[in-house]
Amino acid sequence: MGLRERLGKEWLFCDGGTGSILQGLGLKGGELPETWNLTRPDDIKALNKSYFDAGSNIVNTNTFGANRFKFDNVSEIVTAAVKICQQARKEAGREDDAYVAIDVGPTGKLLEPMGDLPFNVAVDVFAEIIKAGYEAGGDLVLIETMSDSYEAKAAVVAAKEVCDLPIIVTMVYDETGKLLTGGGVEGTVAMLEGLKVDAVGINCGFGPTQMLPIAERLVKCCSLPIVVNPNAGLPRTENGVTVYDVDPDDFASVMEQIAKLGVHVMGGCCGTTPDHISKMINTVKAVPFTAPTVKNETYVTSFADCVKIGKKPVIIGERINPTGKKKLQQALRDHNTDYLLTEALKQEEAGAHILDVNVGLPEIDEPSMMEDVVLKIQSVTNLPLQIDTTNIEALERGMRIYNGKPMINSVNGKEENIKAVMPLVAKYGGVLVALPLDEGGIPETSDGRIAIAKRIYEEADRYGIPRKDIVIDGLAMTVSSDPNSAIATLDTVRRVRDEFDGHSILGVSNISFGLPARELVNSHFLTMAMQNGLSCAIINPCNGPMMASYRSFNALMNLDPNLQEFITAFKDYVAGSATVASTKSSGAASGAVLTLGEAIERGVVGRAAEAMKEALDSGRDSLEIIDSELIPSLDRVGKGFEAGTIFLPQLLMSADAAKAAFAVVKEAMADKPRNTKGQVIMATVKGDIHDIGKNIVKVMLENYGYDVIDLGKDVPPEVIVDCAIENNIKVVGLSALMTTTVASMEETIKLMREKKPDTKIVVGGAVMTPEYADQIGADAYAKDAMATVRYCDSVFEGSV
Amino acid sequence: MPLGVTIPEKEVLRYMGYHGITKVEPDTQVRIGKAIDQVESQSHPRIVTKEYPIRVRGNDITVYNGTEEIVLTSESLARNLKGCCGAVLLAATIGPACDMLVRRASVTSSADASIYQAAGAAAIEAFLDDYNDKLEKEYAAQGLFLRPRFSPGYGDLKLDHQKDWFRLLDISKQIGVELTDSLLMVPTKSVTALIGIGIDKSKVGCSGCSECGKHDTCAYSKEDK
Repeated sequence: MGLRERLGKEWLFCDGGTGSILQGLGLKGGELPETWNLTRPDDIKALNKSYFDAGSNIVNTNTFGANRFKFDNVSEIVTAAVKICQQARKEAGREDDAYVAIDVGPTGKLLEPMGDLPFNVAVDVFAEIIKAGYEAGGDLVLIETMSDSYEAKAAVVAAKEVCDLPIIVTMVYDETGKLLTGGGVEGTVAMLEGLKVDAVGINCGFGPTQMLPIAERLVKCCSLPIVVNPNAGLPRTENGVTVYDVDPDDFASVMEQIAKLGVHVMGGCCGTTPDHISKMINTVKAVPFTAPTVKNETYVTSFADCVKIGKKPVIIGERINPTGKKKLQQALRDHNTDYLLTEALKQEEAGAHILDVNVGLPEIDEPSMMEDVVLKIQSVTNLPLQIDTTNIEALERGMRIYNGKPMINSVNGKEENIKAVMPLVAKYGGVLVALPLDEGGIPETSDGRIAIAKRIYEEADRYGIPRKDIVIDGLAMTVSSDPNSAIATLDTVRRVRDEFDGHSILGVSNISFGLPARELVNSHFLTMAMQNGLSCAIINPCNGPMMASYRSFNALMNLDPNLQEFITAFKDYVAGSATVASTKSSGAASGAVLTLGEAIERGVVGRAAEAMKEALDSGRDSLEIIDSELIPSLDRVGKGFEAGTIFLPQLLMSADAAKAAFAVVKEAMADKPRNTKGQVIMATVKGDIHDIGKNIVKVMLENYGYDVIDLGKDVPPEVIVDCAIENNIKVVGLSALMTTTVASMEETIKLMREKKPDTKIVVGGAVMTPEYADQIGADAYAKDAMATVRYCDSVFEGSV
Repeated sequence: MPLGVTIPEKEVLRYMGYHGITKVEPDTQVRIGKAIDQVESQSHPRIVTKEYPIRVRGNDITVYNGTEEIVLTSESLARNLKGCCGAVLLAATIGPACDMLVRRASVTSSADASIYQAAGAAAIEAFLDDYNDKLEKEYAAQGLFLRPRFSPGYGDLKLDHQKDWFRLLDISKQIGVELTDSLLMVPTKSVTALIGIGIDKSKVGCSGCSECGKHDTCAYSKEDK
C-alpha cells in the first residue's frame, strides 16, 4: 500500500538519530556525514537497516545536508543514499511496509529579504536534491529541522515541481512554540496546509517532555496527520562526546503520553537510537489511534503573523492600489518603492490587519513589480498581504515569493478565470476572494450572486481548495446609479454567512462613488455590512469615521475584550471631531512657529513640510525658497557636522526635514521638469547587506540637488557598471562595511575602469581608509555623507 | 521574550557617533527612548556556548574539539589568551525583530534608522555583558578568571574563522543565525566570540577597540582619545 493511503489511518513510525551513531563509528568533527554514502556505504546501510529492524516505517536517507553549498556532486551523493536505504530495507525484509524518505534539511542560509539567498535559488537548491532522490526511487520527501517557514515553503514548492511523492514537513519550534524566524505553530500549519503537504509536525530542538505542549497545539489547529520526532532530551558533552539524557524507557513513556494527544506519526531525532525507537513503537502501538479531524479555522498568515477570519471582522488596507491615486501611479512608474512602503506602514499604524497590494498599471511590468513589492513590504511589516491583480503571471509571481499564506484577490465565476486562478491557489495555498459574477455580468440580485457563489464553492472542491479558504465578495456598487445596490450587497453578505456558513468581503467605499460626503455613507454602510455578517472590510484604515465605525461595532458586539482596542484608540477623543484616527502625533505642534530654515536646522519634519507649503502658497518661487532658505540652513548643519560641533543624528534629522520639504516642492511641480545637478549612482557592493550608510548618503545627495539612482545593497559589479554605461553616469558611490566585501568593491572598480573609464568612483564605509581607497583604485575616499556631497560638487563643477 | 537587560543610553549615543556628550536635545532624547523601548521589548535573545581546551603557542591557538584540532592564528588573540588553557566559544543574537525595526525606520527617517541601528548594537552588547558577568562569577568560584571577549575579525584574527564558530557551535540550528557568503551574520545584531579562561587576572591586549587598526580615528571607539 502506498504511504498516502496509510498516513492518518494507522500508527506509522519514523527513524531516530544518525549524527551521534556515526560519530561513534568514527565520523570526525568537520567531516560531512553524507560523504560516507560514497566512502563507507556499508556503515550507512547498517545504520538504515538498524532502524528498519527496530520497526520504523519511514527511514531517512543520509542526505540531510546534501546540498550544493556543501557538495558539487549532489546528485551522486543523493542517488547513492537512496540505493543504500533501499538495499537496507530489502535486507531487513521490510519492502512491503516501509518507505525510503528523501531527507531534506535546511540549506544553512537565510532567505532574502532577511538574508542573501533568493527564494527561487533556494527552490533550485532543493529541487536538485529531491529530483535526484526521486529518480533513484525514493518513496517520499521528508523536509525536516526547518526553523524558517519560508525555507520550508521553498523546499515544498521544489518537491511539488519535480515529483508527485508524498511530502512531510517537520519544523523546529522553541519552548514557546515559535520558530527561530518568529512564526508560530498555527500560522506555520496554515501555510503548510495551503501548500497541500501530506503531513506536518515538529522535530529536534528538545526532548519529548518539552515537545508535549507544542504537540498539543498542533493537534488543536491541524487538519493533517501530525508527526512528532523529538531528541533524546538535552545534549551535554562528556569527554568531548555528545550524550543525551533521556534513555529508551523514559523516551517511550513520554512518547506514549504524546501519542494519546492524537498525533499520527512518531519517531526520534538527535540522540535517539534504534533502541529508543523500538521501545517507543512497542509502547505506542498499544495506544488507540485517532484519525486527524478537519479544523474549520481560516487563517491568513505572514512569516510572523496569523490573522483569523471569522466572527470578528478583519480590516484590509486598500491604499496600495494605483486606481485613482496619481502619486502612487507616479511612484510605480519611478519604481519608488519607498512610497509604497510608507503607505504600508501608515496603514499598519492606523490598525489594518491585512494589506491589499495592487500594482497594476498598463505601462509597467506588473509581474516583476508584484514580486519586488511583495518582498519589500514583507521586509518591513509582519502584516499578511492580499495579492490583488487580474494579471495571472503577476499573481503567480506574487504568490510564489510570498512568505506565508496570503489572501488572493480574486477569482470570479467565469470558467476561464477559474481555470487560471484556482490551480495556483491549489499549488501555493491562499485564502481566495471570489467575485460572484460570470460571463453574464454582475447579477443585480442576491439570488443571482448566491447562485454563482455556490458554483465557485463547487469548483473549489474540485481543485481541492477547502471551502473555509473561500471568501465571497458581496460586490458593493454605487447607490448613485442603482438605488437597490446596497440592499443586494447586504443580502449577499448575510446569505453567505447563513446559507454557506461562509466568509464575505467588501470593497466598502465603492458604495458611495459619485456622492458627496462619501465617508459618511461608507462608514454607515460598513456598520450595516458588519451587522449582516461581513468578515473582511477593504477600506482606508487611515480614515477616521471608518475606523470609528469598526471599533464601535466591535465594542458593542462583544468582539473587543475589556473594550481595550476602543479605549486605546479613543482615549484622547474630543467630542465632535470624528476625524481623529491616527494614534501617532505628528510632532508638528511643538514647532508650530518655526521658519522653514529653523525647522530644517532643528530637524522638525512635519513643520518643515508645512512651512514649505506655506511659502509656496504665498506665491513664492520654489527655486528661490530652496536657494535662499533650504540649502543655506542645510549647509549650516553640514558645516557644523564637518567641524565636529554637530553630530550625525542631528545631521540626519535635518536631512529628513529637508527631504520632507523637497517632497512638497516635488509634488507641487509634478508636471514640470526638475532641475538637478546631475545623476549619481549609489550602491552597497556585492556580498554586503548593510545599507544604512548608503541610504544616509543618498538622502544628503538628494537634498543637495542630485538625482540619485539607488541600486540597493548586495549589488553585483556588472549591474553597477551596466547602469553607469546606460545612463552615462559621472560619479558612482560605493559602500562596503566589511573587509570581506572590500574585495567586491575592488572588483567593481576594476570592471568600471575597463568598461567605462571616465566614471569617477567615490568609496566609503566602516573599514575604508584613504589609503585603502587608493589601494583598490578608487578616485576618492569619503569619510561621511557630507564628504560625498562635497566630492560630487567638485566633480560636477568641473574641478576634478 | 524581551531582551531581559537594560540598554544603556550612553552606549546608544556612542554607537550614534556622539563623543563626550551625555545629554542630547529633548526631541532626540524622546526618539532614542522609544527606540530603546522597542528594541528591548521586541528582542528575543538566544545564546549558544561551549567550553573547549585550548593551547597557545606563539601566535597559534589550537582549539581541541574531541579528535579535531582547529588552529586560529592571530598575534592579538594570542596576546589576549596568554596563559589560558581553555576558552568558551559563544554565539548570541537578539533575533530578527531589530533588523525589521531598522528597515521600517529607514523607510521614513534616516535619523530613526541610525537610532534603531545604534540601539540594536548596544542591545546585543548589553545582553552579552550581562551573560559575561554571570560567567565570570561561575568561573571565579572555581578560582578561574575570564579574559575580555574577542571576536573573529578583531585585530588580526581572520573573519574566515566565522565558519569554524558556525560549525563547532551549530549556530544556525541552535540560535537561528546564518552566515552569508561574505561572512556576515543575519540577523545582523549577532555576535560570535571567544572568552579565554585563565588562572591569573592578567588582561593584556584587552578590548577589541585597542586591537583595531582604526582605533585612533574611529567615531565609535570606546576609549577617549
